[in-house]
Amino acid sequence: MPIREISHRISLVFMLSLAAALLLLGRAETYVFDNARQVVTDLAAPLLELASRPVAAARRAVERTDEYAYVFDENERLRAENLRLMAWKDTALKLEAKVARYEALLNVQVDPSINYVSGRVVSDNGGPFVDTVIVNIGREQGAKSGDAVIDTDGMIGRIVATGAKASRVLLLTDLNSRLPVVIEPGHYKAVLSGDNTDWPKLEYLVATSSVSPGDRVVTSGDGGLIPPGLPVGLVIQTSDGNLRVQSFANHERLDYVRVLKYEFPTEVARQDPPALLTGPPVKASPAAVPAAAPVAPEIPGAPQTSASGATTRPPATPPASSVKPKPAAVKPVTTKPVVPKPTTATTVPAAGAATMAPVPDPADADEDEVPSPPTEVEPVNGATE
Amino acid sequence: MMARLDPYNPTPASRASRVVVMLLPFVIGLVCVLLSFVPVARIIGASTMPAFALMAIFYWAVVRPEMFPVYAVFVMGLLTDLLSAGPIGLWAFTYTVIYVLVLTQRFLIINVPFSVFWFAFLVTGLVEGVISWTVASVIYGALLPVRPVLAHVIVTAAVFPLFAFLFGRIERRILPAG
Repeated sequence: MPIREISHRISLVFMLSLAAALLLLGRAETYVFDNARQVVTDLAAPLLELASRPVAAARRAVERTDEYAYVFDENERLRAENLRLMAWKDTALKLEAKVARYEALLNVQVDPSINYVSGRVVSDNGGPFVDTVIVNIGREQGAKSGDAVIDTDGMIGRIVATGAKASRVLLLTDLNSRLPVVIEPGHYKAVLSGDNTDWPKLEYLVATSSVSPGDRVVTSGDGGLIPPGLPVGLVIQTSDGNLRVQSFANHERLDYVRVLKYEFPTEVARQDPPALLTGPPVKASPAAVPAAAPVAPEIPGAPQTSASGATTRPPATPPASSVKPKPAAVKPVTTKPVVPKPTTATTVPAAGAATMAPVPDPADADEDEVPSPPTEVEPVNGATE
Repeated sequence: MMARLDPYNPTPASRASRVVVMLLPFVIGLVCVLLSFVPVARIIGASTMPAFALMAIFYWAVVRPEMFPVYAVFVMGLLTDLLSAGPIGLWAFTYTVIYVLVLTQRFLIINVPFSVFWFAFLVTGLVEGVISWTVASVIYGALLPVRPVLAHVIVTAAVFPLFAFLFGRIERRILPAG
């Protein structure tokens, strides 16, 4: 009996020390434990999913009963909201058309559409120190670490570990969550940092920013992991004066979520500068050339000397001193079709150079720079309004 | 010793069932660990989950410690650690310490009215909260908010009678008299 008692005590002390050692080992051997975590999560995910089905059904039943109790009020509210939204829809359609035209006009690189996978939240956080959930979307469905996870209301978190069939999502409220965001009307950048409370903090906000409660917070896309513009929440002010964020997504009712398979557009197709910035387009140049017919033969040579540098120009000027100012003014027209990229950089100084050059012949500069952009812009503008 | 067991002469099936019965508290503990990851609290729109594993550890440590060794507690804690994304060892350590504490104070709470038993569980829950909060704060290097832990402990204590009732039924109906 005493031997049994002693061995029992020894086993207690041994397990206590083992548990304490595990705390240190967990910090040192993170790789081993991360792998173990993957395996356990993958094994438990089917069980959790099975268990979460009746739970989800029960929750829906409870919600349904709640809804029945308030069905009349809810109907009234929705009617009012619908009226407001119809007005918004009208505005949105107009703006959509306008933006589409502007994008076409400015040749804007439209963000590629983002693919997503839908899945369900199958687990809870399992303790007061972490805010993570497990979703039944894994590597096989294309989820990868860092992907943003959203539900119908907004962003809820991002994936931090993936198994074959299940992934772990770090919610925005978790202590380890940091998300680059933009606070909308003023476009102030900040970092949304979780601290295990229901409302994550706004950090690294510039002191001069005028952010007020009620402002909308969206993802900024900085870092390239998460697409920009995902709705996150609204700014609120706590009683101690700190700015925090109330998320749009209800963390207590997480159910179906989407994992965004966002790829940062690194392989962007080469894009010519917008016509507005470079001045008149190619088709406008033939019109300009006949107007300056006598200067035409000088044009091919002149841009090269001016592009090579200001120091080379003075020696080039003496032979054609009378014609010199004209190529300088016409230069933007001819270089554009040939080398689009450098011209964007040069067009802005060219305006400055033109202000110096116009002294000899302001008429030519006027003809090239002022009238031609309006002919390009005006018809489109007229069409939008 | 052996002579007394001889006439028993069990069939393989009865042997197996005996093993299953002996393992039952541990299996219940594992189920409780899994249950704390099932979003049951969200049925009523709450996000604070009770510590089901703590209920199992407390109950079996008080009522049937001989069927619920410290290894079982350690495995339960480790499983919680692996399933949650928190620091490894947090729950293995907390649960093992709680188990040892309950085991040493067991004589105080055995054969007492249920209200005292319940109060003892509340105290255990608070101790668990303090230990886990301290360990987590040290690991994260920051003072963590206390409110989620407190809510966790209170919810756990509030749900405990239901589980104590269930465990009691299992203990009296299935387990051999100890």
